[in-house]
Amino acid sequence: MILTLDQVGKDFGGLKALSDVSFTVNQGDIFGIIGPNGAGKTTLFNLITAIFPPTHGRISFKGTELVGLKPYKITALGIARTFQNIRLFSNLTVLENVMVGAHTRMKSGVWRGLWQTPAQKHEEKAARERAKDLLNFVGIEAITDLSDSLAYGQQRRLEIARALAVEPDVLLLDEPAAGMNESETEDLMHLIRQIRDMGKTIVLIEHDMNLVMNICNRLAVINFGLKIAEGTPADIQANSEVIEAYLGKEDA
Amino acid sequence: MDFILNPYYLQIGMFIMINAILGVSIYLTLATGQLSLGNAGFMSIGAYTSALLTLKAGFPVYLAIPIGGFAAAAVSAVIGFPALRLKGLYLAIATLGFGEVVRVVFLNLKITNGALGLSGIPSLGILLGKALSSAGFDQGMGGLSVQQLSNVSVLLILLILVVFLVFFSLRLSRCRVGRAFAAIKTDETAAEAMGINTTYYKLLAFLLGAFIAGVAGALAAHITFYIGPKDFDYHRTVEILLFAVLGGSNLVWGPILGATLLTMLPEVLRAASDYRMMIYGAILVTMMAFRPQGLISEETLRFWKAKLGRRKEHDLNS
Ligand SMILES: Nc1ncnc2c1ncn2[C@@H]1O[C@H](COP(=O)(O)OP(=O)(O)OP(=O)(O)O)[C@@H](O)[C@H]1O
Ligand SMILES: [Mg+2]
Repeated sequence: MILTLDQVGKDFGGLKALSDVSFTVNQGDIFGIIGPNGAGKTTLFNLITAIFPPTHGRISFKGTELVGLKPYKITALGIARTFQNIRLFSNLTVLENVMVGAHTRMKSGVWRGLWQTPAQKHEEKAARERAKDLLNFVGIEAITDLSDSLAYGQQRRLEIARALAVEPDVLLLDEPAAGMNESETEDLMHLIRQIRDMGKTIVLIEHDMNLVMNICNRLAVINFGLKIAEGTPADIQANSEVIEAYLGKEDA
Repeated sequence: MDFILNPYYLQIGMFIMINAILGVSIYLTLATGQLSLGNAGFMSIGAYTSALLTLKAGFPVYLAIPIGGFAAAAVSAVIGFPALRLKGLYLAIATLGFGEVVRVVFLNLKITNGALGLSGIPSLGILLGKALSSAGFDQGMGGLSVQQLSNVSVLLILLILVVFLVFFSLRLSRCRVGRAFAAIKTDETAAEAMGINTTYYKLLAFLLGAFIAGVAGALAAHITFYIGPKDFDYHRTVEILLFAVLGGSNLVWGPILGATLLTMLPEVLRAASDYRMMIYGAILVTMMAFRPQGLISEETLRFWKAKLGRRKEHDLNS
């Protein structure tokens, strides 16, 4: 029970983007969230990371209530995310992007940065080495290039590396396979499993059913802001309401 | 040598340095992507604080100048909290308004002598001259008179300050704080999601910018003997903004180049000095249309590095 959502809802003006969604993610899960376009999946991530507050409901992480906390506090607690529409820092290099992810795990302020004290140098070197390791792990070589010079699939991987630099317990991935071809998606599945095996918990929004059914151990299905089903991939595939709302369309 | 020691050129040199310092000040606030137009206001707070402390309270100049900077920073902290909730154009308008409020306050206070301004402010040059005389240089040195010597010293002190601020900015851009600034500049939401306390860093950049503008104002006061509210009106704000627009704001070199060029411009084009604001307007529009990144951008730097690097290789090979 690392992450729990309890009756979470979000209204945008008159639009009920989410209503009374509850679920629990357990340590070590690869927890999938699926649903049609505009169902409210990204909104769920935005609520967990406090991009905006929920209209009602509670969200708790390792026993800490998250609602009311600032986004940077939540990140520091150990939740990191990627974005559906890639949001890299285009004015920074690939390596620097990952080092920004390590921000909360570092301490040096203006004074130490100005004089490059031994403590600052040591910290900076450690962060750089760790960032290089992470980039190596996700398979990016051009680390001194500006981040927007990377190919699309690589940018998605860079977002994952940047999020891992936070040293999170829970990693939220918003459509990580979007825009990837089959072999890239295959590699991504392998990568996500490796991250889970590092002891991280993963919550994953994805439209690629092959990926979702293969790597998730549990799934929640959102439709029009409501959770219509939850269970193992086998449960979900057998659920008639889900087939009607979502999966059926794929087969048709 | 005489050419360089001409007091008129020395004076222009000092103004270039003061404006370069102001350039660094706007560079730092822009580093987090905030367009603050309050720099003339902060500059005037520094100038009046330091002038009044020396004139009315007998503070030594070397103490009054940094206090001027701290006064500007303190005011920026007070207005920063509400102002930094505003984004883009709204922040620009609010800070522009702030600058005008400060000017009107100085215009109406008794202690600042209203529209007449303050004169007889202890001058850095004269103070240094006295110090030099009492140190036994009253006959000058190396063929220079005490006055020349002290003017050169003032210029040197300002130059050292500019060099230090460049060093500071370069070091900053390569550390955790600088990366946080850069991240906020491109994508505030993503920066916050990566664990950066955006409010803190934006306020920090705002404060640093205000402090440096305050120091620049205080230095200007002790170089020109006289300050009045007119010195810090919105023309001044536009001028400072133009340092960044002309030179570019992505690297600290940009506003420094912009400040240098724009300070020399009216001196070179004496005849055109009546049309200064018009020329500024033309520069602003031209830059926006043809080179919005300013004269110096990362690409410019990379280009010249590659070119100079190649020349060096060539020299070595031949
Ligand atoms: N900041 C916002 N302001 C207003 N409406 C919003 C906002 N964010 C999302 N919405 C609306 O909420 C609904 C759910 O959007 P959301 O992005 O969560 O869908 P999604 O499930 O992620 O869809 P997709 O699969 O297309 O990414 C949509 O109707 C969307 O227009
Ligand atoms: Mg979405």
